[in-house]
Amino acid sequence: MKLIMIFISASLINNFVLTYFLGICPFLGVSNKTENALNMGLATTFVMTLTAAVTWPLYTYVLVRFNVPFLEYVAFIITIAALVQFVEMYIRKSSPALYRALGIYLPLITTNCAVLGLALFMVLRDYNYLQSIIFGFATGVGFTIAMLMMSGIREELEFADVPRHFRGTSITLIIAGMMALAFMGFAGLMSG
Amino acid sequence: MAENNTSLFHEFKKGLWQDIPPFRLVLGTCPALAVTNSVINGVSMGLATLFVLLSANIIISAIRKYVTSQVRIGVYVVIIALLVTVTDLFLAAEFPPISKALGPYVPLIIVNCIILGRAEAFAQRNPVVPSIMDALGMGIGFTMSLFTMGLIRELLGFGSILKVKILGGWFEPWIVMILPAGAFMVFGGLVALVNYITHRRSGT
Amino acid sequence: MNNVTKMFLNLIIVGAFSGAVLAWVFHLADPLIQANREKELKESIFKVLPEAKDYRKAEKGLAGENIVVYLGLDEDKKPVGVAFKADGGGFQGNVGVMVGLDLEYQSLKGVEILDQLETPGLGDRIRETEFKEQFKGVEVRPRLEYIKYRKPEKPNQIQAITGATISSKAVVTNINKAVEKVLAAFPQGEISTIPAEAAAPEASPHETGGDR
Repeated sequence: MKLIMIFISASLINNFVLTYFLGICPFLGVSNKTENALNMGLATTFVMTLTAAVTWPLYTYVLVRFNVPFLEYVAFIITIAALVQFVEMYIRKSSPALYRALGIYLPLITTNCAVLGLALFMVLRDYNYLQSIIFGFATGVGFTIAMLMMSGIREELEFADVPRHFRGTSITLIIAGMMALAFMGFAGLMSG
Repeated sequence: MAENNTSLFHEFKKGLWQDIPPFRLVLGTCPALAVTNSVINGVSMGLATLFVLLSANIIISAIRKYVTSQVRIGVYVVIIALLVTVTDLFLAAEFPPISKALGPYVPLIIVNCIILGRAEAFAQRNPVVPSIMDALGMGIGFTMSLFTMGLIRELLGFGSILKVKILGGWFEPWIVMILPAGAFMVFGGLVALVNYITHRRSGT
Repeated sequence: MNNVTKMFLNLIIVGAFSGAVLAWVFHLADPLIQANREKELKESIFKVLPEAKDYRKAEKGLAGENIVVYLGLDEDKKPVGVAFKADGGGFQGNVGVMVGLDLEYQSLKGVEILDQLETPGLGDRIRETEFKEQFKGVEVRPRLEYIKYRKPEKPNQIQAITGATISSKAVVTNINKAVEKVLAAFPQGEISTIPAEAAAPEASPHETGGDR
């Protein structure tokens, strides 16, 4: 039950983008076309799930065991950077088609605050291994949902007459605000 | 030498308006939204980022000739993580309420694109002194932006500035300003405003 | 020196340097951080037991758990109430509450929210004064309850924050659980007679000899 709660909470009720402001850079930058948004979302979800799977044991069996919690940030960011590097190399070798679709987004994922954020939250909330993996997956799904919703709206927006100074970043942010308001409606979902 | 001074000043100045993060240079947006629910939080985050940005720029510029290109991102990221951890420990030790208020957003300075962005775009190919100017300009510009957002959100959302109630009992706080939705909208509004001012200044 | 060696050297030097610097800074900062935590704990005890000027700590093991309570004392060293931490899962993570209970174990003297990671703007409103004030004087027998959308109707009820039911409920549940444990470990008659061997940290005698 708790797993389901974690999933719904992380993807909808406390969506990383719309509640915690994580992953805003790609959210603003890559959400103009649905195809790009989807690819970025999928790539990020994959990296986030993997990150949860790798950083949890790193934290539990290395950092805590050797009593060096202050190395958490350094260790996590190195892990994320390395993971992204390996994922990129693997995809390039195994599926050139996939690489062509996703490849350029991968390096950007290293600095996506959502990835590091997920690792930090996982530690703060004391999740166990399974919970952490679900959490990683769920936050990625939430990110993808936000990206897709935004890209859908932005594609429509191309035909609208946006006032000159609001074009681009500004209108995207205002729309994000409205999306955030809408997502607040999910707040009652789990209270029962 | 005069030319040197003008160009140094230029490096400093550009971060204050022309390339001000996060309104014109769209980087560092995550903390801009997350911790600007009050003036003190916004300014603290700005100063913390300034410190990391300045130190990172200095270090990365100083070692730029020795770092092998392929691993430079890894090296930069470790240095930044180191600086951020130091900052985090410092805040937890000396300013616990601020540390609590900023919470997990302090470690997220590591992935604040401003820092890695400036390292890549500037510090790794420029000497130390211009890098210092660049960092100071960007950092102060960022702090000013966070201050502005914090001001608007705290004033409208709590009716206070720096926890001092400015607007009296007649004011019904716009709670939305404290919530994420308000953050997005204020940010969006300010970007539009900055666009407008820039446009006016350049005289169409 | 070929490229690969240079790469490794870069990483190793940076890594080792970072590790060393961090270990040193942590060594300096940790005592301060611990001291801050102590201070926060102390302040929260005085906040939830407003009449207390001093306190005594007591612990007892119960069913594998260490139950810690702080007996609040006024200026005449008379007990005024007990304070204890109530921890438990909220919506997003641990919700840590400091609870102040009267000596009869009947009603609360106050609560203070110590840690929480609840949703900003909604769940984290449990930190607000308005929510916390409700708990003063509320009865905990038979158990604390919460009510939604209306003002409390019974002496053992508080009103949950609209839109933050789970976070409000977490506070209530954690308090109930902690009260049960404290009652089991320190039965009512015993509580005012906690021996002085667990002396309050402030009252440390002047140390002779030995410098800092």
